[in-house]
Amino acid sequence: MRNWYETVDLNNPLVVSSRIRLARNIKGIPFPKRMNDSQKLEVLENIKNLLDGVSVEGVGNLKYINMDAVPDEELFAMVERHIISPDFAKKAGPKGLVISENESVSIMLLEEDHIRLQVISGGLKLSEAYEIAKKIEDILSGGLTLAFDNQLGYLTECPTNLGTGLRASLMLHLPILEGSGSLPSLADSVSKIGLTVRGMYGEGSRSHAALYQLSNQVTLGISEQAAIDNLSAIATQIVNKELNAREGLDKKILEDSVYRALGTLKYARLLTSEEMMSLLSSVKLGVSMGILENIDPALPITLLVEGQPYSLQKANGRMTPADRDVLRATLMRERL
Amino acid sequence: MMCDNCGKNPATTHLKTVVNGVVHENHLCSYCAANQGYGNIGKLSLTNMLASMFGESISSGKPISKRCECCGASFSDIAQSGRVGCSECYNTFRQELMPSLNRLHGKAVHIGNAPDEQKPEETVQDKIKKLKAQLSDAIKAEEFENAAKLRDEIRALEGEENNA
Repeated sequence: MRNWYETVDLNNPLVVSSRIRLARNIKGIPFPKRMNDSQKLEVLENIKNLLDGVSVEGVGNLKYINMDAVPDEELFAMVERHIISPDFAKKAGPKGLVISENESVSIMLLEEDHIRLQVISGGLKLSEAYEIAKKIEDILSGGLTLAFDNQLGYLTECPTNLGTGLRASLMLHLPILEGSGSLPSLADSVSKIGLTVRGMYGEGSRSHAALYQLSNQVTLGISEQAAIDNLSAIATQIVNKELNAREGLDKKILEDSVYRALGTLKYARLLTSEEMMSLLSSVKLGVSMGILENIDPALPITLLVEGQPYSLQKANGRMTPADRDVLRATLMRERL
Repeated sequence: MMCDNCGKNPATTHLKTVVNGVVHENHLCSYCAANQGYGNIGKLSLTNMLASMFGESISSGKPISKRCECCGASFSDIAQSGRVGCSECYNTFRQELMPSLNRLHGKAVHIGNAPDEQKPEETVQDKIKKLKAQLSDAIKAEEFENAAKLRDEIRALEGEENNA
């Protein structure tokens, strides 16, 4: 089974990935910030015993990893693959990760909450991802008492996650909406209905590859299914807006920019990650509009992840930014 | 005015540096300003915002000396950090937390999933509601025998509720 960035949903090529995250805590144990090391080790041991080696239908075997022993390069490469959060990578002290073979399930242990359960998959698959998350939650609640309150729902360290503790996100590829300057007003309108949009793989809210993450914000007073349905419905509308905007493009200008991007990727000898991302975004646009027929539709996003700084270093050892630019250009040449 | 650095975006941050009496002006867009480390002026973090929401409950109420038995946090620990110490804190400091939680989430009450063993018990009213929904489905499907049975069950429950 492939990772999220190696699969493409041909019915919804603009939806790059679907992600479900559940925040859960164990009743009667302080949240990670107030735990001492022996409490932390005990919690890690308990969860390891519950999940390590367990087979989950549709996912495969789960594996426990002691994160203290993982080198920084690998930690930040995991951040680039969206397996863990940047805060978790930086966090000192005992911490653990439970992960499935294709990394579609990753469970951060002792991040902000005791348990941050994530299911990620390529394409528009929120409901499927949620079903898997629920199965794993059932295994956890079979061995642990989860902190829950009838009024406030699942209890979390940050009060903004109270209720379902669910964050559902869709990563969307929106090059034309971005280029037409529509994103600020889009972000403004979705915030009024309890959603947020932020740029992925970029600084601050900007994205270098026109990838934007749409997520729910409201967790209390809304059921999981309603939050997911709401998010999917709005995402579909945004995707249709992007598709409509694509209809109006000048074919010649579009083809020119797509082939220029492909040409640069194929022949450049030095590529920064920003340049790579913006070129791959054009190639992805070209593939989904049928201009580039001989490129695997999943390839642009696969390369975008594999060309990130830590992912390159993970495969080839530590190197300077200049050496990475050489290696990145080589990777693009070989694969496109 | 466009950004002096990238020339692509409008300048929104204006810097004036004076070195040995020579004034130097620099106009940057929000991205370049952030890149050069000028983006943090007046930045609001979630933690700070939450801390100030909880903090108001302290200043408006009487001093609170109680501590959470599970994690040892006092309410001022929570108010200063904007973070709750453990799940028990939500019980220990419910009264103090609720005003801020209501401002954060409105008067909302959890309606999503619950752990199996902690599912709230179904009230008589919940049961009646469920049966009424089944009844209307049964009528639509013209399953009248089933509908009559459901109607009797509803009447029995409604009688039970009136007696109680």
